[in-house]
Amino acid sequence: MNPKSKRYGAGRGDVLLWLVGACLLYLLWESGFFTAAAWQDFNRRFYQNFVKDDRYMMLVDGLKATIFMTSGATVIGVAVGLILSVIRVAYKGGVPIPLLNKFAETYISVLRGTPAMVQLLIWNFTIFASARDLNTQYIAILAFGLNSGAYVAEIFRGGIESIDPGQMEAARSLGLSYGTSMRRVILPQALRNVIPMLFNEFIALLKETSIAGYIGIDDLTRAGQNIQALTLEHSQPLIMVAIIYLVIVLFLTRLVRKLEEWLSRGRR
Amino acid sequence: MRKLAVCLLVLAVLAGVCSAEEGKLKTVAQLKTERLAAQRGTVGQFLAEDLLGDKKGSLLTTFEKYVDAIAALRQGKVRAVVMDEMPAKRFLNEVEGLAIMSEALSEENYAIGFRKGNTELVGKVNEILAEMKANGTLDAIFAKYLNGDYSSVKPEDIDFNKGAKGGKLYVGTEAGFAPYELRVGSGFIGIDVEMCAYIAKKLDRELVIENMNFDALPMAVSTNKVDMICAGITVTDERRENMDFSENYVVGAKQVAVVRADDYEPEK
Repeated sequence: MNPKSKRYGAGRGDVLLWLVGACLLYLLWESGFFTAAAWQDFNRRFYQNFVKDDRYMMLVDGLKATIFMTSGATVIGVAVGLILSVIRVAYKGGVPIPLLNKFAETYISVLRGTPAMVQLLIWNFTIFASARDLNTQYIAILAFGLNSGAYVAEIFRGGIESIDPGQMEAARSLGLSYGTSMRRVILPQALRNVIPMLFNEFIALLKETSIAGYIGIDDLTRAGQNIQALTLEHSQPLIMVAIIYLVIVLFLTRLVRKLEEWLSRGRR
Repeated sequence: MRKLAVCLLVLAVLAGVCSAEEGKLKTVAQLKTERLAAQRGTVGQFLAEDLLGDKKGSLLTTFEKYVDAIAALRQGKVRAVVMDEMPAKRFLNEVEGLAIMSEALSEENYAIGFRKGNTELVGKVNEILAEMKANGTLDAIFAKYLNGDYSSVKPEDIDFNKGAKGGKLYVGTEAGFAPYELRVGSGFIGIDVEMCAYIAKKLDRELVIENMNFDALPMAVSTNKVDMICAGITVTDERRENMDFSENYVVGAKQVAVVRADDYEPEK
């Protein structure tokens, strides 16, 4: 194990965790949490919110929906983003596809220029208004995926443009066609450069799906709200939801860091 | 030195604001100049707007969920929440330090909402509602919930008429409005839910509940996303312009102001 990377990898994340923990503890102490009565009250509410009638299952089901939507949307987002970015780069590189390029440009500016929330509502209530037997989660996947595609396209474009133009020239001079050079030479290198950023997009998407409750999907956030409506208690369900999101995001962040290390090691 | 002076000034202002002791609330008329909260899209919001008049822009806060509005009330961000009496009573049972002002703001009737012009379904549902009123089914459903304790009601016990030959009956609701509708685990209970289950059975259709935010319901029914919306919806002339209603199934449901108990001094 490389000592330098170890110091970097472990140190920062832990400091952050301790900081968050300390802040939480302080807040709890401030609100008189560390007294026997408060502790009993906390336990009673905790039981009501999560244990009684297996209510934690609502959160588990919500988490499943959140992860399902995020994963599906990521697949669509990466596919759409890849296609869009290749179109734009190829046009710039001299391939005569002005119409496709115009489409890609418009797509990116429209989907990046409108809030995801508004897009979600339009997909559900306008475009798929009559599709009632369709699981709403699929509509959400489509909406989030297409939205994410616009951002991923820019990530990919950055990745492709970061590859030295000499690579393309070299490939072409060896007699490879533009398409083959792109597929076999440029994209594999570009992909490696953008993988960490794609993961970040995945993390952002995970949090963005929290608006899915608006079209009637019981995702993690909505599950917390459903528990709130059941027990009429405000803070505990929300904080629990926040902790679950945070744990997942921290885990993913750590994964990205490991991945970055692994990728940069291969390069040396 | 200057910093210190600024700090002292800020502190003095804060102290002044805090010590400006307001008198306790006595009548609903006093609410005209107070900060109010309501759930977005509900009659509570319309009533609060009427009450505040020109000042509604600065004094009225609308929330997506009742739990949020009550939290704002308890934290002193608003002085009263305008809402339906039955859910308000449930809050009083479960949450400490709340009171309902004895004087009601208005009395409303609840009905099921349909897409404008869907007279066929409205006719059928009206027939079934009349039958439910005549044979005591409706009274029995209300009796089940009105004592305030419905922890024994299980979602599995409500027959959604699965696999019915006549297709599906999509019903939009906002399941945070006990005792009318409430999400329990992965199912639903409540007066509206049981009533719709009976209606679905009579129509020989399978009941499918779409759980959305309240302010998305009119959109859902007008775009045909759902067949009808049933969420303790108050009949108003304004709403009649955009949707059709069934006969009333609740008459004289009170709209009340929920306030903090220590901020309320009922007139003797």
